[in-house]
Amino acid sequence: MLIWFLPVFLIFLMIGLPVFFGLLAAPGLLLYLNGQERDITLLYRNVYNGMDSFPLMAIPFFMLAGELMNKGGITMRLVEFAQALMGHLRGGLAHVNILSSMLFAGLSGSAVADTSALGSMLIPAMEKQGYTRKFAAAITAASSVIGPIIPPSGIMIIYAYVMGESVAALFLAGIVPGILVGVGLMLVVKVMADKYDFPVASAKSTWPERGQASLKAFFPLMTPVIILGGILAGVFTPTEAAAVAVAYALFIGFFVLRTLTLAEIPGILSRAGIISSVVLLLVGAAMAFKTVVSLSHAPEQLASFILSLSENPLILLFLINLLLFVVGMFLDAGPAIIILGPILGPIFVDLGVDPIHFAIIMSVNLTVGLATPPMGLVLFVASAVSGERVEAIARAILPFLAVEVLVIFLITYVPAISMTIPRLTGFAN
Amino acid sequence: MGGLLAVLSPISLVNAQLLRLGRAIGIVAVALMVVSILVQVFFRYILNNALPWPDEAARFCMLWMTGLMAPTAFRQGGFVAIDMLVIALPRVVGQLLTLFLLFLSLMVLVVAVNIGWSEVTGFGGRFTTASLYVPTSFGFDEWLRVPRSWMMASLLVGVILLVMVNVELILRSFISLLGGADQLPDLTDPSIAAGAD
Repeated sequence: MLIWFLPVFLIFLMIGLPVFFGLLAAPGLLLYLNGQERDITLLYRNVYNGMDSFPLMAIPFFMLAGELMNKGGITMRLVEFAQALMGHLRGGLAHVNILSSMLFAGLSGSAVADTSALGSMLIPAMEKQGYTRKFAAAITAASSVIGPIIPPSGIMIIYAYVMGESVAALFLAGIVPGILVGVGLMLVVKVMADKYDFPVASAKSTWPERGQASLKAFFPLMTPVIILGGILAGVFTPTEAAAVAVAYALFIGFFVLRTLTLAEIPGILSRAGIISSVVLLLVGAAMAFKTVVSLSHAPEQLASFILSLSENPLILLFLINLLLFVVGMFLDAGPAIIILGPILGPIFVDLGVDPIHFAIIMSVNLTVGLATPPMGLVLFVASAVSGERVEAIARAILPFLAVEVLVIFLITYVPAISMTIPRLTGFAN
Repeated sequence: MGGLLAVLSPISLVNAQLLRLGRAIGIVAVALMVVSILVQVFFRYILNNALPWPDEAARFCMLWMTGLMAPTAFRQGGFVAIDMLVIALPRVVGQLLTLFLLFLSLMVLVVAVNIGWSEVTGFGGRFTTASLYVPTSFGFDEWLRVPRSWMMASLLVGVILLVMVNVELILRSFISLLGGADQLPDLTDPSIAAGAD
């Protein structure tokens, strides 16, 4: 009977119950009906124990570091650096938008932060140069999904914790896929720029000008080096690296760029705390949900159903990508990973897919889902930032989404894309 | 409807003040988390002398941050949900569905308060934390080992605050159902709906 918690949960979700309550109400109800009232206490304990975790602390820290860097004017320096490198190309600002997203991804693990920070700066600038507003908003939203793919990444921390994987391995596995998404988007821009005669953003920068822009962006660009370098060298755990990133962001904001003020700090701490608290509650509920998933033998039953469709992992990976893509249209990446990871992960690992590889497939697919209509979170943020209707952005984003889907399948069928760096560095087998 | 508004007003006021206090403590908790972990890094890697308490102290702060700040997110519409159906339905039906969902959430929270209370006051809460002490005298010569129940109380306080917010949202929903939505101040903050995405 316990297996029914899954459809009950889906019904709760579809009628609009917040994911946090759904994760507890569905299994709780079924445990009660099953006469297992004592196990409901276990659900509560698992929520608490799920949140009481050192690795999870990286989430508020990275969020805080991202907020501090954004407020501290670091985004501006990254854009100037990107412009010095790519501004002279046809479709220059569109390329600058993508490159800035890739650089910003090394500082922040959030697509929403990327869209709002870069969008508020680049969308008006692109409009001024003659791009349509919907195109500018669409490229901002499409490139923002690189944020949680290139490390650091909030959703990868969540996945690693819920599934018991190494955060460092997932971070490393996300580097090439993130770059690939960026390069793919640039190719689309190049084709469109040639076809529609997009403007160049600025005259070609001289090498001294590029050097100056690099110097200005030096401190922000060092952030991913410190985070990843520290983790790789075994100096920091990912949580400690996140705390160091916060200290580094404070140092840059107060002493290097001198753009942060003390008065801004409580607001930044408050925002990071509020957003993180929701994520932590969700992760706690997910750990409770995961217990019931195991008790109900749902993965085994789902596995036998999935295997009845095909025994070929390649076909199953294709089907699972379709499922994830559809889920991503309606649900944000974090909650989707929390819900589907414990159910799907073990099935594909049993089929011989490397757990890190599967984590990247899920993360990239669901992150792209942030930019897909009708419920793509970054579409709404891009709409709020640009003033363009969501429907218009959703149509303009289609060519970019097509490339991102292509990248998802490349990552799926060429494991080396994600697995090479973790293997070379000894973080994966 | 006037009666409902009269009941809602003090509840809103109490919630607003309590959550403001919660956010203020939460801000301090976030700052202390960062400081604890930086102290840990400094002592372990620079002084080569690992301290026993920063890890647990930071987790203590994180749990209280969550308990005290998540209710603000709930009140401001920051709990992730697929609300397409509620929006697509005719107004009255959508409002009725919202009420049903809020009552369902309330049920979960009330059960959680019951369990939380027995957990905090029960056997598990009698243990002490591994490394946290607080001074019990001004001369810092007497120290109390922090009980686990102090840490466990964070979730209990969190769900109690969530119950209070839930009651407020139910009242607001009733008022909206009766056509008084325009008399309610907007509590939502779209900027916090992002989660870790």
